Amino acid sequence: MSSESSLRSSTRLSLAVGVSLALTCAVLALFSADFWGALGQFFIAPFSNRYFFGNFLADAVPLAISGLGVLIAFRSKNFNLGGEGQLYSGALVAGILALRLGQATDPLELWIAASVAGALTGALIAALSGALKAYRGVSELISSFLISAIVVNVVDFFITGPLQDPASNFQTTRQLAAQFLLPKILVPSKLDISACVALALVAGAAVAAARTRIGFELKICGENEEFARYCGISVVRYDVGAMAFSGALYGLAGALLVIGPQARVMRGFSSGIGWSAISVALLAQGSELGVVPAALFVAFLGAGSNQVMIGSGIPSEIISILQAVALFFITAQALPRVRRRRKA
Amino acid sequence: MSATSLVLIDILKYTVAAATPLLFASMGGLFSELSGMLNIALEGLMGIGAFFGMAAAGLSGSLMIGALAAVCAAVLGALLMGSVTIRLRANLFIAGLAMNLLSGGITAVLSQWWYHTKAVVAFSIASPPAIFPEFLHAIPLIGPIIFTQSSLAVSSWLWALAVAAIIRRTRHGMRIRATGMNAAAVAALGFSPDRSRMAALIWSGIGSGLGGYALGLSISAFVPNIVSGRGWVALVAIYLGQRKPLWIAASCLLFALAESLSNYIQGFSTIPPLLVLALPYAVTLISLIVAGKKRAAGY
Repeated sequence: MSSESSLRSSTRLSLAVGVSLALTCAVLALFSADFWGALGQFFIAPFSNRYFFGNFLADAVPLAISGLGVLIAFRSKNFNLGGEGQLYSGALVAGILALRLGQATDPLELWIAASVAGALTGALIAALSGALKAYRGVSELISSFLISAIVVNVVDFFITGPLQDPASNFQTTRQLAAQFLLPKILVPSKLDISACVALALVAGAAVAAARTRIGFELKICGENEEFARYCGISVVRYDVGAMAFSGALYGLAGALLVIGPQARVMRGFSSGIGWSAISVALLAQGSELGVVPAALFVAFLGAGSNQVMIGSGIPSEIISILQAVALFFITAQALPRVRRRRKA
Repeated sequence: MSATSLVLIDILKYTVAAATPLLFASMGGLFSELSGMLNIALEGLMGIGAFFGMAAAGLSGSLMIGALAAVCAAVLGALLMGSVTIRLRANLFIAGLAMNLLSGGITAVLSQWWYHTKAVVAFSIASPPAIFPEFLHAIPLIGPIIFTQSSLAVSSWLWALAVAAIIRRTRHGMRIRATGMNAAAVAALGFSPDRSRMAALIWSGIGSGLGGYALGLSISAFVPNIVSGRGWVALVAIYLGQRKPLWIAASCLLFALAESLSNYIQGFSTIPPLLVLALPYAVTLISLIVAGKKRAAGY
């Protein structure tokens, strides 16, 4: 790759962020009757009061946790596309456990049990894709997606069937009692202490990646598999391990939603978070600490889209378009050739 | 004729119909696969084809114009992916993911804009006509299963034949295959691997566009998530068929049979429908694992 044509990662990042914001303005101008009003709603609403601000931060929490997992898996060249199912099933198992344990435990034990159960569920499901890749040569992209599609249907079945709350008109499980929900930080918003968990995980992963043998070996597996084998590193173990790790974080994110803002497992509540987490991981550009601003950015776009949707009738799916455009730019390695020639 | 054989014929007839979108998409995706690109955007391109195809057919009342629009829209999507991955050297998987996201976003936003709903958009379009003469329908077994199929199903098989001929018999097809085998050698011969890859992506756009349109026509409507994983299933069909058109077609039929059975079971059994819905994915996954074993043994 010649240096003159390759884009620096900072350039790519600003292009990705800049273009998706510009596109947001264009869409608002096109679709909304009151452009300035909609623009204000989009960009300022998340900061307008404690409630909106807290909710915006709370939306970033599952994105940061699961985005971190995707990022680590990417580093070893493992693409986990099954996040939707891993998060959803983690949420379900955590929810079942929390509802079962009920009054018998104190809240702290329940939170730990539910988080561990959710993480294990996600890890097992993702590890299956890793194992299929390692032992059967099955692309983990495809298997993780297919497994996730199966899992989503199974979870839907449990929520609407055996676990359906008979007292509710919604397709949902029963609700957790208020004393078993994670303590809120920014009342009245839904932000709770899971935000601290997310920050701790990001910091821990950053240290582990830079300072530990596992972090180093994982990186080698991703950069040069052949060399890793030559060094005596078990690539199979890192394939399975990296997938399991990202699955665990997806599952944990789901569990924290259930014992936090959701307080129950509602059908389809987490739809889209799995895919957004991939955008977060890509925007973070391979840096663990970058996951935090990336998650905030994606959550900001989401919060803005929801606000505008309520205000002006633009469907919230607009966020998919913005994310897609950001992804196209974040992954571009070079400027168009035409432009290079002109420069020369 | 006994009741069971009638049911069997029904299931098989639906199998052939359900194979149509898969056949279009997987044969299109075969090009990108042969050129060395795992195109995970088949799913998104099918969604684009379904939406724009149905919109154009609904507007014009012409099935052909619908097909043309489906192809044009999906090819535009493929060109976008191609320029990002080939010219801007973006990661193919990420560009594919972005394409899938883009597809869901654009169809939802345009659906809201044009039809004021994000839910079901029904179109009153004449369904594709049956093209075999009436007297053939009377042939036992084959008659009701094959000769009652619409022109759409028939054209998917013609498309499969055409693809097989192009990749085996034409310079263009061979160049695409050579690019996948050894791009450096192709470049050394003075041909552009990039151009072959772009062409392969365009072919996959044509196939996915038609496949998505076929899905729309089968229910005379566009609904969000109409493709629901069939692009991925088509991708697995290419794997399972080991990139050979005949075997890919057989794989498509297998997956279509799973879909047909799942539809049938939903109507006539006590197994919860949500679990039955997972059946086609499960069959796809299992076939992938079985085929994977073979591949691993080959190394």
